[in-house]
Amino acid sequence: MNPDESVPAIHLTGVRKAYGKKVAVQDLSLAIPRGELFAFLGPNGAGKTTTIKMIVGLLQPQAGELRVCGHQIGANGLAAKAQLAYVPDQPFLYEKLTGREFLYFVAEMYGIPPSRRDQTLALLERKLDITEFVDQLTESYSHGMKQRVVLAAALLHEPTVLVVDEPMVGLDPKTIRTVKNLFVEHARRGGTVFMSTHTLDIAEAVADRIGIIHRGRLIAIGSLGELRAQARREHSLEEIFLQLTEEEHE
Amino acid sequence: MSNAPPVAPSLLGLLFRVKARTILNRLRLTVQEAPVRLTATVFLVAVIWVGLYGMFYLVFEQLRRTPLEATVAIPLVFNFFFAAMLVLLTFSNAVIAYGALFGKEEAAYLLAAPITPLDVVTLKYWETLIMASWALVLLGFPLMLAMADLTAQRVFYVLFLAFFLAFIPIPAALGVLLAWSAARFFPRRLLRPLSVGAGVVLSAALLFGIRALHVGDSATEEWLRSFQSRMAFVQSAFLPNNWVALGIDRAMNEQIAESVLYLGVTAANGLFLTWLVVRVVARRLDTALDRASGSRGSGRRFPSPAAGGLSGLLFFYLPTSLRLVAAKDLRTFFRDPLQWSQLAILFGLLALYLTNMPTLRVQLSGWGWYLVIPFLNLCAVSLILATFTCRFVFPLVSLEGRKLWLVGLLPVPRGDILIAKFAFAMTVTLLVALTTMIVAMVILKLAVVWAAIHVVVTVAICFGLCGFSVGIGARLPMFRESNAARIANGLGGTTNLLASITLVALVLSAVGSATWRARYLPDSAIPDTGSLLLCSAAVVLSFGAGALALTLGRRHFDRVEV
Repeated sequence: MNPDESVPAIHLTGVRKAYGKKVAVQDLSLAIPRGELFAFLGPNGAGKTTTIKMIVGLLQPQAGELRVCGHQIGANGLAAKAQLAYVPDQPFLYEKLTGREFLYFVAEMYGIPPSRRDQTLALLERKLDITEFVDQLTESYSHGMKQRVVLAAALLHEPTVLVVDEPMVGLDPKTIRTVKNLFVEHARRGGTVFMSTHTLDIAEAVADRIGIIHRGRLIAIGSLGELRAQARREHSLEEIFLQLTEEEHE
Repeated sequence: MSNAPPVAPSLLGLLFRVKARTILNRLRLTVQEAPVRLTATVFLVAVIWVGLYGMFYLVFEQLRRTPLEATVAIPLVFNFFFAAMLVLLTFSNAVIAYGALFGKEEAAYLLAAPITPLDVVTLKYWETLIMASWALVLLGFPLMLAMADLTAQRVFYVLFLAFFLAFIPIPAALGVLLAWSAARFFPRRLLRPLSVGAGVVLSAALLFGIRALHVGDSATEEWLRSFQSRMAFVQSAFLPNNWVALGIDRAMNEQIAESVLYLGVTAANGLFLTWLVVRVVARRLDTALDRASGSRGSGRRFPSPAAGGLSGLLFFYLPTSLRLVAAKDLRTFFRDPLQWSQLAILFGLLALYLTNMPTLRVQLSGWGWYLVIPFLNLCAVSLILATFTCRFVFPLVSLEGRKLWLVGLLPVPRGDILIAKFAFAMTVTLLVALTTMIVAMVILKLAVVWAAIHVVVTVAICFGLCGFSVGIGARLPMFRESNAARIANGLGGTTNLLASITLVALVLSAVGSATWRARYLPDSAIPDTGSLLLCSAAVVLSFGAGALALTLGRRHFDRVEV
């Protein structure tokens, strides 16, 4: 853990990424402090997943710098990765492991002693309601069950930064509510949540700040009130989102 | 937040333990859920293994009876075997390593966690080595044991095994390096044409190499000199196949110290290459992964005539609505390299064998070889067809599962969709099987009557196997499964596999018996009534069984609910 609490949990400076001639992310600068739940919105192909993959070190920016808790991704990648957890849009699980075996694997990967692991796991099992199936092979899980186990794995080592890509897709209303509460709780305890989503209602309901990316550029950032001011309209996030992305399009 | 303790420097042990656990769970599940399939697989592998051992034993025994030829041929057999293995295993390792490092979610998951790239690459290197090298073990151990049995010295068992283990890391390391280079230096859209180009060059080189073996009369000194000069390229002192071949040769000639020296050379080079490659790839894995996973698809555009072009030609006999379904399956077949490449490799190897048939130095008129070799061809073609239909045709119906509402809305009876799938399977299998069989029969100058019998039997086997795969596929489907390999491994797939093997065994037994009878006839070119009856029974059985399976499958498919 970085002793300096004033260092942003996620810090992007002038980040650029292109695939051939197509520019996916252009001159993106962002500073997300600790304890914030940040929602990252954008139409399909806007550059959300590319940004997320750069934050977790799976893609390399062609320009700019990315830091997680002050550690530069790339140069000091392992220190940065030890501070974060990533939940991709398609949750990964070893099919021939049970949910519990997978969670034990993750705990050992992050060096969590068994006593602390069991304690945290018991808590997460209850919160995410996974007790019933956690001892079955993960290949038998539905999408929602997989997502819940992956979330438990992500929260097991109590990361400073939680990066989630489209976490609500395919979840039932009860699980959506549970996940929302978990994210809010995580942020209230001083953690940072960076969440990309298409579900504007959820962003509106839980996000401290919202960033809107369109064609690789960050076109708006701020709290819901600030975005309303920027759009010069007192309306829902959906209307603001559509107005901003259409203006940019024109 | 984040009370995470300092991360351990290497988590390789943990990664290997997780892999071991997944393998154990898989094995336990297979024993519980598919004991018949497991037993059948073990049995078939044992049959192949014992068959190969017997064949190699006979070849070496034959060679040792003529000491001069043995002196030249045995080291060359090993040299060629390991040269071929070096090339094939390098490519096979490259394909598997590419998928393991850049195609699977697992590598991305591990790299997003606090695990060093060195640990990830080391894990993937071992995974690749094991997955790519099992075929060498299956093929190579019988070869080695046959040789060891003939030399009758126990130390050879240890030495030969050691040579195998020392050799395998070399193609594995080269393969991983090749996969990384492909990801790092070539954009995705170039990978497909490059792979196809490499395949063509490799096939041409293989053909040229084999052709080079068969020039002139092998009984002359001139041939021997020419042969040695042609083969010099595989005997370079810098090639690992040569170290292994020389090591085995020295061991056979009781020069154990020299043999151990070559073993040391092979092992040292293998270990050094592995060390170097794993480190280089780990150091630059991020850039390779970045390029490999960066773009979304190749962006290549595919012209899609509804059911015209090739589909229109191949399925001209189907009504338009069914032709559309068959055309869709044909398009999927050509766009899935796993499907067409498997069929192309199997029949490519068969074609290679057929093109070399004219050089066979066997008196074809003696001991009934005239009829036995075409029968063996029929066996090979039938087994390849059974493999193809069980793996690729059987899952076709199940794969429609979640799209059944779409196909079901077509203005045709639902059961007719099975006919379209059957037509697709028959067309593809018949095209390759008949082409292969006819080429073989022309080369062997088989008598017209026997040629006609073999053609009819081939058509019947295609009908039976396709009927089984489509019919049983519709009767015992797995509509909720989207993985074709898992569908083929399920209850329906196992039933289909056993039914297909039984059908092939019955048909081949009947045709084999007819061939055996004909050997004792004054004119074996014309079969007697008994032989004709046996072949007719085989044909009727195959057509009947296929039609029955199709009918049962259709009846079930008409009323199935997804």
